[in-house]
Order: sequence, then C-alpha cells, then structure tokens
Amino acid sequence: MWRTLVAKEMRAHLLSFRFLASFVILFVLVVGTAAVLTNDYLRKVDEYSGRQAELDRYLRAYAHFNRIGGIIMPAQPPVPFQTLVRGITADVNVEAFDDDPLPVMFPLIDLVFIVTILISLIALILTYDAVSGEKEDGTLKLMLANGVPRPNIILAKAAGAGLTLAGPLVVSLAAGMLVVLLHPRVNWAGMNWGALGLIVAAAVLYGMVFSLIGILVSSLHRSSASSIMTSLFVWTLLVLVVPNLSPYVASFLSPAPSRIKVARETARLTDTDRDDLGRKLMAQYRAEVLKQYPVLGERLTEAETKRRVAEDPLYRTAYEANRAAVERAWREANAIQGAKTEELRKDLRQKEEAQTDLARTISMVSPLANFSYLATDLSSTGTRNLVHFAELGGLWDAGFFRDYQPKKIEAFRAKNPTGDAWNTAIDMSDAPRFHYVEESLGGRVQAALPPFGVLLGYCVVLFAAAYVAFIRYDVR
Amino acid sequence: MIGAVARKEIVSNLLSYKFFIVLLLMVLLVATSLFIMHRDFAERTADYQIIRPEPGQPIAVVPPNPLSIFAKGLENAMTRSFEIGVIGVDVRAGQSSGNVIYSFFPTPDFLYVVRIVLSLVALLFGFDQISREREQGTLKLMLSGPVSRAKVLAGKWLGNFASLAVPFLLVTLLGTAVLLFDTNIRFSAGQLGRFALLLVLSLLYLAFFLSLGMLVSALTRRSATSVIVLLFVWALLVFVLPNIGTLVARQFVAVPSVQALNEKREQTWTREVLLGIAKGADVGEHWKTISRENDRMEEDFRLKFERLVRLARNINRLSPAASFLDAATEIAGTGIDEESRLKAEVVRYKNSIIDRLIADQLAGKRDAVYPSFQYRTRPLGEVFAAGALFNTAWLAVFNILAFALAYAGFARADVR
Repeated sequence: MWRTLVAKEMRAHLLSFRFLASFVILFVLVVGTAAVLTNDYLRKVDEYSGRQAELDRYLRAYAHFNRIGGIIMPAQPPVPFQTLVRGITADVNVEAFDDDPLPVMFPLIDLVFIVTILISLIALILTYDAVSGEKEDGTLKLMLANGVPRPNIILAKAAGAGLTLAGPLVVSLAAGMLVVLLHPRVNWAGMNWGALGLIVAAAVLYGMVFSLIGILVSSLHRSSASSIMTSLFVWTLLVLVVPNLSPYVASFLSPAPSRIKVARETARLTDTDRDDLGRKLMAQYRAEVLKQYPVLGERLTEAETKRRVAEDPLYRTAYEANRAAVERAWREANAIQGAKTEELRKDLRQKEEAQTDLARTISMVSPLANFSYLATDLSSTGTRNLVHFAELGGLWDAGFFRDYQPKKIEAFRAKNPTGDAWNTAIDMSDAPRFHYVEESLGGRVQAALPPFGVLLGYCVVLFAAAYVAFIRYDVR
Repeated sequence: MIGAVARKEIVSNLLSYKFFIVLLLMVLLVATSLFIMHRDFAERTADYQIIRPEPGQPIAVVPPNPLSIFAKGLENAMTRSFEIGVIGVDVRAGQSSGNVIYSFFPTPDFLYVVRIVLSLVALLFGFDQISREREQGTLKLMLSGPVSRAKVLAGKWLGNFASLAVPFLLVTLLGTAVLLFDTNIRFSAGQLGRFALLLVLSLLYLAFFLSLGMLVSALTRRSATSVIVLLFVWALLVFVLPNIGTLVARQFVAVPSVQALNEKREQTWTREVLLGIAKGADVGEHWKTISRENDRMEEDFRLKFERLVRLARNINRLSPAASFLDAATEIAGTGIDEESRLKAEVVRYKNSIIDRLIADQLAGKRDAVYPSFQYRTRPLGEVFAAGALFNTAWLAVFNILAFALAYAGFARADVR
C-alpha cells in the first residue's frame, strides 16, 4: 500500500510538465555553471602561480627585512571546490584602491545559488497543489473512500516529492562533476568527495523543507490558486528577505561601535593623549628628583652639563636619576594609554563578535542561510575557512619571523659586521613559504552540524504541521 | 470600453486573496527596506563626520549619497577615504564592519526589493489574466460582446498595472516622505528629480514583468502551466542571466585580480624604498617612480576592467533586471561608471598635488596646506548619454515586445 502510494506520487510528478521543465533547467544550469566556474578556477590557479613567481623574483632581488612583512603576506590559493561553490572568498576588497565591483553588483552564480533558489522553487512548484489539487480533481475523495489512511497519504506525498527532487539534482550534479573532473588540472581530493556527498544530502534536505512547506500550505487552502500565492509569499520571506535583513537587524539589536570611530580614538589615545600624559608624569617625577637633588636646579648649557657629569660624581647620580625619571614617565604613559587602547579594541572585537553571532542566529530562521553556511563551510570557502586560514597564517608567521629572520640576519652580520641588516637586499628565495592546506573533513563537518540540525528540525516540525493540517482537511 | 475592462480588473483584484498577499508583501518590504537603509545611511553619515578632512589636508573623501538609501550600489567603495601621500593614494578606513554575515547576502535596498521581489509580484498579477478567464468561461462571454481582443488586452493591462502601481507608489512615497522628516538627510532638488526617475524606471521594469506574465498566460492553456513557466523565466531573467553574464565575460577578458595588484603595489613601494636607501640621495625621485608605476598599473587595470564591464553589460542586457540595475545605480550616482570616474578623479587630484607634497616632505614642512578635493556626481545628461538612456530605452523595447507578443498570442488564442 505504502509503496503504491509513493509510486503513484512519483509517477504523477515524473510525467508532469513541471518536472520536465525543472529537470531541463536544473541540468543545463548545473552543467553550465560547472563548466564556467571550472574555467574560472583554472584561470585563478594560473594567476595564483603567476603571483607566486613574481614574488619569487622579488625575494631574490629586492627583499629586505625592514619591509618584508607586507610582501610575503599569506595568500589564499584557489581551492578545487571553487569549481562548484564560489563562497565568500576575498573577491571584494575595500581595503585596496583597485577594487572589482562587478561581483558586488552581480553576485556570481554557483551551486549554492542553484540549490537555494532553484531547488526551493522547484520543490514548491512540485508540491503547492499536493492536497488542494487532488481535492480539486476529486481524486482525494476516491482515495479516502477506499480506506487509505490519511497519515499514509501525507507521508507518501512527502517521500514522493523528496525522491523526485533528489533524482534530477543527483543526475545534474553528476554531469556537472564530470565536466569538472574532465579537466586534468583540477586536483579533486578524496576528502572533497565526502564533503560533496554531505552537501548533496543537505541539498535534498533543503528541498524537503520546501516540499513540506508546499504540502502544508496546500493542505491549509481550499484552492490551488490561493495555495500558490501563500507558498510564494512564504518562499519570498524565507529565501529573499529574512537572510538579507538579518545582519541589519542584528546591528540594530546588538550595536557595535563604528570601526572608524574606534580607529580615531585609539590614534588619539596613543598620540596626543599619550604625549600629554607623558609630559605631565615627566614634570611630576622630575619635580620629585629635583627636590632630592637641588643641584639639578642650576641652568646649564649642554656643554657645561656634559663637563659637569664627567667631573662631579654627585651631579652624575642626580643626572642619571633625572634620566630614569623621564624614562619611567614615558614608559608609564605608554603602558597606561596602551591598556586603554587595548580595552577599546577588545570591546570592539567582542561587540562585533556578538553582533555576528546574533546575525547568524537570526538568519538561521531562513533555510537558505542554513544551507549557505553549511555548503560554504563544507567546501572550505566560508567563514570557517577564514578562521582556518588565519590560524595557518599565524603558524607561518612564527616560522618566518621567529626562526628564519634572526638566523638570516645573523648570517648577514657574520659576513658583513657593519652592514645594515634591515635595509639591505638579502636573497630570501629560501624563506619558508606559506603553504595552504584545506582543513580536515572532521572540522568542516563539525561546523556544518548546527545548520544541518536546523534543516532537519524544520523538516520534522513542518511534517508534523502538515500532518495535523491534513487530518483536519475537508476533502469534499 | 478599455476603461470598463480596466475597472473590472481593478475591482476583481481588490477583492482577491492574491491582492491582499501582494499588498502585504509590498508594504512590509518597502517599509522595512527604507527603514533599515535609512539607519545604515545615518551610521555612514556619522562615520563621515569623523573622517571628513580638515581644510588643507590632502585627503579625498566624498560624503555619503542620500540616494544610496534607495540604491546602495557601490556606495561603500565610493565613500572610502583616499589619503594622498608621497607615494600616491593610500586607502584608509573603509566603512567596513567586522560582521561577516553582510557578505553572504545581497543588500536589501529599495532596488533589490523592486528588482527581485516586486518583479515576482508583477508576474503574479499577469500570470492568469487570460488562462484563468478561459478556465472560468468568462472570456467567452466577454468576447461575445462588442469588444475587440486588443481592447480587452489593453484594458486588462491597464487595470492590473494600476492595481500594481498605485499601492507601490503610495507605499514608496509615504516611506520617502517619512525619510524627509529626518533633518540629517537633505535631498537636493536634483536628487529628488533623480529619485523620481528611479520610480519611473521601476514602473517601467515592473510593467515589463506584467506584460511578460500576460504573454505567457495567453500562450498557455492552463494557469497552472503558466505559473510554472513564469517562475522559471523569472529566475532566469532576474538571477541567472545577469550573473552568468559577468562570469562569461571574464572568460574573454583577463583582468588582473585585486590581490595581484595589491601585491604589485607593495613590491614596487618596498623596492623603490630599498633602492632609495642604497643609493642614498634623491628619495624624491624614487617616490615619484612609485607613484608613476602605480598610475601605470591602475591605468592598465582600468582599461581592462572597462572592457570587461562593457562586455559583461552587453551580455547582461539579455536580462531586463541587469539593464534596470545598471541604469538605476548610475542615475542614483552609485553605479560602476560613477565609481571608476571617482577613482580617476582621485588619481588626477593626487597628480595635481604630489610634486608639492614630495617637495614639502623633503623640506620637512609639516603643516602645508593643499587644495581640497572636489567631486560632483555626473550630471544626469552625462549619465543618460553614457548608457542609462540606452538601458531605459531597452527596457521600454522589452516592454513593447512583450506586450506585442502577448497581443499576437491572444489574437490567435482559442477562447473555448
């Protein structure tokens, strides 16, 4: 019975025009994007190696330790997953004068887009009339008259929609992967297969969420014409509105100070304010020293002071006490102002983190955001990778500045004791280079678990709601 | 007669569930978007007050553009602070935020609402105009009276356009009127004119989707089929085409990446500093070399990038959504052309003062006074000449084409 019901649902879908249209569009888009993104990826790989070669030439000829920090900054190489998922790689850079505004205006499309927009739309198109349509056709009455239990019907509808969605998605993606793998230069590692499998599973789950929304809405409406309206309304809110509003709402609820303001304030604290405080402390400590050594009160020229320091041991102690007082004053001023800036920065960091977390939580109301986070994290093109990249950068940093640099400077000084080790060109082509490795699958999966859980939770809740709505449905 | 059909459409819309849902969506979205973008603008204005240069400082910053509330475009890139130093332009203090979630989803400005959500709404107004009446049998009745098909179609179009445009204009104008109460935002007369143009452009854009809906509705026998076709066409036109166009264009025009340029700048700078120290004398010459080489690189990048943008635009024109976005952001003064013009102006400003800057720096003069940076958004005439007019006309052509095809389809339709 149960199998007959699912088979009926699937047959009805498979023979329909909407399924055919969905399949064709999905197939063309997935394969097309895979082809274009693969080319894009290869171009990026070439560009990256070109940049590395340029860097090599520079390191051989002009590298000097004084300004090496800005030159050998760790750079993120393209990852093979970028043939499918664009992610939030640093395409947009407002810190540099040259920026590339095209992606800001027209975000590139990728697998995440195809799943989040198209699959959800297809799911709704397949299911918006699941119950109301059968009521209108009169088949629902017939089915129930034959003693088919209602739970079975609704479960079969959900399963049928899910299976129907999974088919075209997997087929299209397989074709897309073929395009990707046909390029011999795409280095698709085994780990990525695992990640891809999880992304596909999540995509099916995501489609399931929208299928269930369609089924729920259709069992709340008497006519399919109004059920498509409500479905699209819900879809628009969940897919097009909630995620986009979430960071703004979060900035409203959990404000963080403006970065510009903090930058100005810290600059003031460590510049003019520090000078004022230093001068004040200096005057104070010098007054104390003067009280102790009245001899310092005499006004002397620079030459006389020098002579006096050389001749008079008492004056010399006084002079040194004075110098220590000055140094102490400035050291204290630096420490006090430094602590203040650090506090400001910490406050900014904490507030920004709180805001980001809140924005993420709000956006997770939307299944689209969940899938975006999950897919970008699994493909190491998301926020998780930013953290991972920063960690790797820190490790490399230590290797270069703590181990390599002192050794190299020592070697230079051994050869040329009077040379300026900081501002002379030194061949650094043997320097340890930043080497990026993707995070292990375990870590990525861990990051993907919460959004996965939310999607699963959505499915359960929506199914329960659809079940209740269908039980109460008047089939006449 | 057209009037009677239009009136009938308006009345039936007013009574429908669809109209209620659509109205709810429209009010909700336009109001939220204006509120949120208004706050965003207020924050950026506060930031501008902090970074705005004192008279005489060699810093180029333009104040936030109030029209960016409606069309954010590249506003974030344009309101950065460009500090001119001895080695050229130094970009400081982008109004960036540490909240990384912003970079996941597009900005929900007014343009986004119109371009993505309201286009869907316009389709929903059109999708069952003919097929539903055929299914209900009222089409037969109507056509058996003394009314031509052209008039029925025109009346339907007008009635639906009115039921779409009137609430849209009401909500938008009301929201904007509320914005005008904020004394911190001052729209000049020119900017209000530009806003009116944005509204006209939005209506033109929405009208296209209404015509498209009627076209598909005339060609399909069932409204269920029509809605499916339209949803896919909509997704293609609004999301896929504009975005795949830029990707395809990149396959043909190679543009160096931002990171590559950045690294190159850094390398030039450190190399010249090193050479300057090694040779001892004439640091000024080395500074000039840095500035010159950066300019050359920038020029080369701009030429390539312009070629890329031109190609991407031409491909994107297949989609009215891209033409609309292009024209609207350029009119608002936050478009791609405007941004590259601003950057060219910054480079020109730098070149006009850099010799003095270097001389002053070498002479140890700390508090020198430089002419301030002036930037005015391109006049509308120039914006239109540079492509906005073409884009607007293109939208109109799309409109006429869709309506004409809808008429052809309807004229041949079997109404039984």
